[in-house]
Amino acid sequence: MISPLPIEVDRPQEAVVPSRAARSYWQEAWGRLRHNTIGMIAGGLLLFFVLVAIFAPLLSALITHQDYQTLDLSNPFAPPLSPGHILGTDDLGRDELTRLLWGARVSMGIGFLAVGVALLIGGIVGLVAGYYGGLIDGLLMRFVDIILAVPAIFLFILMAILFKPNTVTLALIIASVGWGSIARLVRGEVLSVRSRDFMVATAALGASDGRLIFRHLFPNVLHVMIVFGSLYLGQVVLIEAALDFLGLGITPPTPSWGNMLTNAETFFFHSRTLAVFPGVTIFLTVLAANLFGNAVRDAFDPRLR
Amino acid sequence: MAETVLEVRDLTTHFKTPEGVVKAVDGVSFELQAGETLGIVGESGSGKSVTALSVMRLVPRPGKIVKGEVRLKNRELTALTEAEMEEIRGVSIAMIFQDPMTSLNPVFRVGWQVAEPLFIHQDKNRNRALVEAEKMLGRVGIPHPKDRARDFPHQFSGGMRQRAMIAMGLTTMPGVLIADEPTTALDVTIQAQILELLRTVNREFGTATILITHNLGVVAGMCQRVIVMYAGRIVESGPTADVFAHPKHPYTWALLKSIPRLDADQRQPLRPIEGIPPDLIDLPSGCAFHPRCAFKIDRCSRDTPSLAQVGETQMAACWVTQSGAELKDA
Amino acid sequence: MLLKYVVRRVLATIPVVIGVTLITFSLMHATAGSYIPGVDLNPALKPEDIEAIKRYLGLDRPLYVQYLTWIAGLVHGDFGRSMIDGSTVSSHILDRLPATLELTVTAIVLGIVISIPLGVTGALRRGSKLDHFFTGLSVGGFAVPAFWLGLILILIFSVQFEAWGLPFLPSGGVMTPGTQGGDLLDRLVHLLMPATVLSFVYISIWSRFTRSSMLEVLGQDYVRTARAKGMTERRVVYLHALRNAVIPLVTLVGLELPALVSGGLVVEVVFSWPGIGKLLYERALDSDYTTVLGITTFAALLVVFGNLLADVLYALLDPRIRYA
Repeated sequence: MISPLPIEVDRPQEAVVPSRAARSYWQEAWGRLRHNTIGMIAGGLLLFFVLVAIFAPLLSALITHQDYQTLDLSNPFAPPLSPGHILGTDDLGRDELTRLLWGARVSMGIGFLAVGVALLIGGIVGLVAGYYGGLIDGLLMRFVDIILAVPAIFLFILMAILFKPNTVTLALIIASVGWGSIARLVRGEVLSVRSRDFMVATAALGASDGRLIFRHLFPNVLHVMIVFGSLYLGQVVLIEAALDFLGLGITPPTPSWGNMLTNAETFFFHSRTLAVFPGVTIFLTVLAANLFGNAVRDAFDPRLR
Repeated sequence: MAETVLEVRDLTTHFKTPEGVVKAVDGVSFELQAGETLGIVGESGSGKSVTALSVMRLVPRPGKIVKGEVRLKNRELTALTEAEMEEIRGVSIAMIFQDPMTSLNPVFRVGWQVAEPLFIHQDKNRNRALVEAEKMLGRVGIPHPKDRARDFPHQFSGGMRQRAMIAMGLTTMPGVLIADEPTTALDVTIQAQILELLRTVNREFGTATILITHNLGVVAGMCQRVIVMYAGRIVESGPTADVFAHPKHPYTWALLKSIPRLDADQRQPLRPIEGIPPDLIDLPSGCAFHPRCAFKIDRCSRDTPSLAQVGETQMAACWVTQSGAELKDA
Repeated sequence: MLLKYVVRRVLATIPVVIGVTLITFSLMHATAGSYIPGVDLNPALKPEDIEAIKRYLGLDRPLYVQYLTWIAGLVHGDFGRSMIDGSTVSSHILDRLPATLELTVTAIVLGIVISIPLGVTGALRRGSKLDHFFTGLSVGGFAVPAFWLGLILILIFSVQFEAWGLPFLPSGGVMTPGTQGGDLLDRLVHLLMPATVLSFVYISIWSRFTRSSMLEVLGQDYVRTARAKGMTERRVVYLHALRNAVIPLVTLVGLELPALVSGGLVVEVVFSWPGIGKLLYERALDSDYTTVLGITTFAALLVVFGNLLADVLYALLDPRIRYA
């Protein structure tokens, strides 16, 4: 290359290449997430509620020794820290803490089921619409427009009176609107990923449509779905609680945080705390879901801070 | 002897980041004479844009000018209050930027944006300012300026937008114009037009111009003097013709050697500069270029060279050339 | 140019309108079409009478005829009749719409008025304690169930204050019972809590959004250009930057316009606010399917046209759209 020169010269050094091990996209995101204190606390809180929901029967047997249905008409509106009732009792003498524990089952159960179904349907529709474009895209997105045009809460109330839902059907009712937003979101993401060079390159290598969609497109769209799923979980919990509160969702005796608040106003003078606890648990759950969702979003795309 | 319009002494600008302090500009000194076009050349990350922004005191967070002086005529710019600086910007020194697509505000009409420095700084009333703006748009070569002034930026082509930006910089007849990569984002044919415009402007208005670019060809055609920057420092400066004919710094030398030439033997391999640009947080000891330098000696890795006279008209920061050696392949 | 854009948007809206009406029609047919509460089960009615009633209501016509009749009715503002008392849905809507609008419009205006300064301040003082505080407030506000917030506010400011002998806010209704509703102060006092609760969630979202929009705009090249022109920071922020930053906010607010009618349902119920949401709820409890469906159809159509309006507004504000 460069011949010997009339003055003393060393050979130019080899370029120094960083020697850290390469990390995958997901590992990097997880690394960022791990260091996000608020996000991890929120995730932990969410996990806590999930565990409470799963182990409610066990917990109520161990901690409160009560059943959520046991009435004790001789001891209504007991204040918190009464003997045997850490958080007091409600208007029919049922233990408040036990009902809160079991209420978690309803909220978490409906929450995760609705999110799961919505993500599944919305994800598929979004992927297909975004990938194929054209007529299919137009049709599917029009359909989504229609679904999203009807005000959700009206639709939920309507379906609630038509179908008298239990936990599972209520989740499905909520998901029947939710998938629309997800489909739109996924489609948008697909459109931006789709035009990237690696997609064209992979197709040029002979990959089939299915392979392109599921092996290549989907993983790059997944992070958007995770973020939305987490935020949507909070929304579902709020909607479900509101429906229960209105008496149109899960009705007593099955305890849900929402229906525990239905008569809070009338019972206010008997017990100040009855109106507080279920609201706090809803608030904490939704807060945890939101903060976690934000943290996940920041982990995948730190530029957005 | 032409008067010195802008004098920069030992300008140092650092960025405090979580990974460390980025020394974007590290002790830069130069002068700008009235009426001349000075080129600042360097690769990405060499500090040329930050130098310009530092002169304007527009360095974005977390950057800070930590040391140095910038004298415009008689005023020390680093000592001014923000309000005083606002009176200087757009009036005494104007700066135009690289990407005309994004440098104009999309929601205001072009004529209004061009006229804005006039009615804000020079107390002209709106209508008079707009009339002058239209005239300026005409002078920079925009056809039907009265009509085009009422358009929005997205209705202009790239070249026209850049012309509008130049008009915007010139309406107040500043003494100094800083052009930061004005043609980099444009098509090649438009580039030539814009450069021609800048040349005309320099001639007709006598505005001293600092032209920042990474393109040596642009420098050759436009600038009487040139400064070469590397890793936040000036490594060479001098009259363009001299620097190009006999570069006095190994970096400049290597840069010039790396340009493919139409008249070269097609069988000769291209000659890139070995290695990668340095990490501005963790600069190499001594001369920042030494890890990539074909001519380095022991001293280069120990002591940082400062700019000194090498040859009649040039300055270079290199131990090798300062000791009299010539740069050439065998 | 603007006209062409509007026409395009209107044409795109038509299929959606058709879709929406089809959905509500199918739901209606699946329920009210073949089930009339009280009639089928009424032992006093003979089968022929039931048939006669069905024929009278047009339920024996082929489906597509029923659909077209329904659409024709919609065009004339006929949203059906109650199954319970035969009253027209449209009369109910007209009756209750002003109250709902009073509530939701106030909430939206309140939301905008508070969100913009909050968001701009957060952006300008990014990273400061104040910014963190506002962000925390937003995140928290977004997680609070609206019905619970309303409940708590009533319990504190109505019930508890009254018990303590303090001046207290009314716990519900548009005006003090017995008055004609002419007293502005009385109405404002009644409007205060519900509008605040409803605007709460708007403020949470919009203030954060304004903040991030502002941050993004402040990082744009044209802001740098404005500064290079020697504009004062104040001018750069409030003229050059803000004007661009609010454009996306308009879209966001526009998205809420359709919810103008439905968004207040829960708040209306909690505060006994005589609006459309509360009406739907009451009728739902009575199993008055047709009224519920009629209101839902009305609201859905409103959403569709609301979106159209938002698109047009957006085009007005952002010259890039209308001259495209």
